[in-house]
Amino acid sequence: MSADQSKVESFLYREARLMDENAYDEWLSLWTDDALYWVPCNRDDSDPAREISAIYDDRARLQGRIDRLKSGVAYAQDPKSRMRRLISNIEIEKADNGELIVSSNFMLVELRRSKQDLFAGRSIHRLRSEGDSFRICHKKVLLVNNDEVIDNLTFLV
Amino acid sequence: MTSQSIDYDTLVSDDRVHGRVYLDRDIFEDEIARIFHRGWVYVGHTGEIPEPGDYRLRKIGRAPVIMVRDDHGEVRLLLNRCRHRAATVCQIAQGNAKFFRCAYHGWTYRNNGELSAVTYQDGYGGALRKEELGLTNVPRMGTYRGFVFGSLAPDGISLDEHLGAAKGQIDLFVDLSPEGELDVRSGVNKYSYNGNWKLQIENAIDGYHPNLVHQSTFEVIQKRIKTPMDVFNGNSIGETRDLGNGHVMLDFRRYNRAAARGPRVLPTISGRGQDYRDAMVRRYGAERADEVINAGGTHLLVFPNLILIGVQIRVVQPVSTEYTEVYLYPTLLKGVATEMNIARLRGHDGFYGPAGGIAPDDIEMFARVQEGLHAEVDPWLLFSRGLHREGHDADGSIVGQMTDEVPQRGIWSHWKKVMTGETELPHHEADLRRVAAAD
Repeated sequence: MSADQSKVESFLYREARLMDENAYDEWLSLWTDDALYWVPCNRDDSDPAREISAIYDDRARLQGRIDRLKSGVAYAQDPKSRMRRLISNIEIEKADNGELIVSSNFMLVELRRSKQDLFAGRSIHRLRSEGDSFRICHKKVLLVNNDEVIDNLTFLV
Repeated sequence: MTSQSIDYDTLVSDDRVHGRVYLDRDIFEDEIARIFHRGWVYVGHTGEIPEPGDYRLRKIGRAPVIMVRDDHGEVRLLLNRCRHRAATVCQIAQGNAKFFRCAYHGWTYRNNGELSAVTYQDGYGGALRKEELGLTNVPRMGTYRGFVFGSLAPDGISLDEHLGAAKGQIDLFVDLSPEGELDVRSGVNKYSYNGNWKLQIENAIDGYHPNLVHQSTFEVIQKRIKTPMDVFNGNSIGETRDLGNGHVMLDFRRYNRAAARGPRVLPTISGRGQDYRDAMVRRYGAERADEVINAGGTHLLVFPNLILIGVQIRVVQPVSTEYTEVYLYPTLLKGVATEMNIARLRGHDGFYGPAGGIAPDDIEMFARVQEGLHAEVDPWLLFSRGLHREGHDADGSIVGQMTDEVPQRGIWSHWKKVMTGETELPHHEADLRRVAAAD
């Protein structure tokens, strides 16, 4: 296993744990200031200039999302989702500027109000080195069910 | 059970509604029959199917329908049911097709519904009349500003009569485009909830809940725009309106005019500039242009299943007494700068998608209401807010303060009329009921 592979795995596992545990501030701290967080809906390769997305956040909107979730009155997360997810099938490419383009699969079990749901998909992170670890400058999440009825996606994916 | 054994007058009065109307399966079946299989129901928008062959699969009540633009450019509503043995002839939710072919026995229809080919046709001994076996048209179809409505009943009031004063609000929604046209090909959010369909229409046009349910998102917005979000306050000069026929709205126009800063939070025309106003004035004249820009769209329920909020067309699909699906189709404006349409899309994403800051919180409330409804010891829901202060406006609408339950009373009074057969009842059936009553 290359040094990159090991570092990237550690980073993705940590991010997964922070999302699972609704550790909003810590998760937000993983992002760069020029972040873009994109969860397409209807299909994986939609055009955000012409089509809607489930999430299309720059850093300011991401901050607003976290502020709302922390407010105590974001009712879609009252009660909060209980979650655990598995990350696998990691593939790493190096971009021209040295950033890493990391693709990985996830399987997420989410429980809320006694109802357990299964979400799965592929995440494509663009990671920028910072010290010993990374920060996320771009993350695109391709949900398997992005063209289906989804009632609540207000937890972190 | 039929409606004769359900006493709708007792279940719905001016200021309260009995919880049974959200729980009772016989009432639900009656609603499907009377409201969705007889009256005018919104199906889709012509802006979804601009090219010949473009189609969308939709439902009118439980009936599967193909909304299609045929080879000659005419928009049609065809029942998605093979005339042979009833299988659906189209399975893919959207696309472009010259033909619809039933996979079961191969009967094939043109995109105008005509039956073009029957497998081994000689086996019918020459008796099969293909010209009589095209896909069945939805008995009545009508459009207004591209909004396509269908009725499964052969007769009843016209679409024009049904829409009534709602037409002016639809105009405000569409006229935000300097070309007066919408592009409705920006995808769809689909959500569902374990609750009755009427919880969604009551909620969509409710100015009482936003400061409470949406506090978390409003706080984020206020921080960003550094302006108080006060349009839903108890002393707001914003209004609620009952336009008749079950069509109801939140009316932000007076608030926007006084605020003199254009539409408040909804991203309908954020990013607009002088170029936009100039284009609007060229198209509509200064007075109308400013009227449209000030309204910033509308916030409207067209009874029973069409909601216009912000940039979106929202469609409510009853599935069962305690399960509902909702589809949100954002719209783009033709003839505006790309940035303005992108602002519309991002505003929609932030609020209304499954990860948005508004809709998921409403859905949570629907689940709580539906759960609470099962405590039936004291079964009444109160819709009396502002009853003492509502008035009749010069335009014929009933008007109240922003947080008043004028819209809910408007929905329920119309619902009762439909369910008791006062409206939209085909004449022959009214006759039958009179005969039955005389017996």
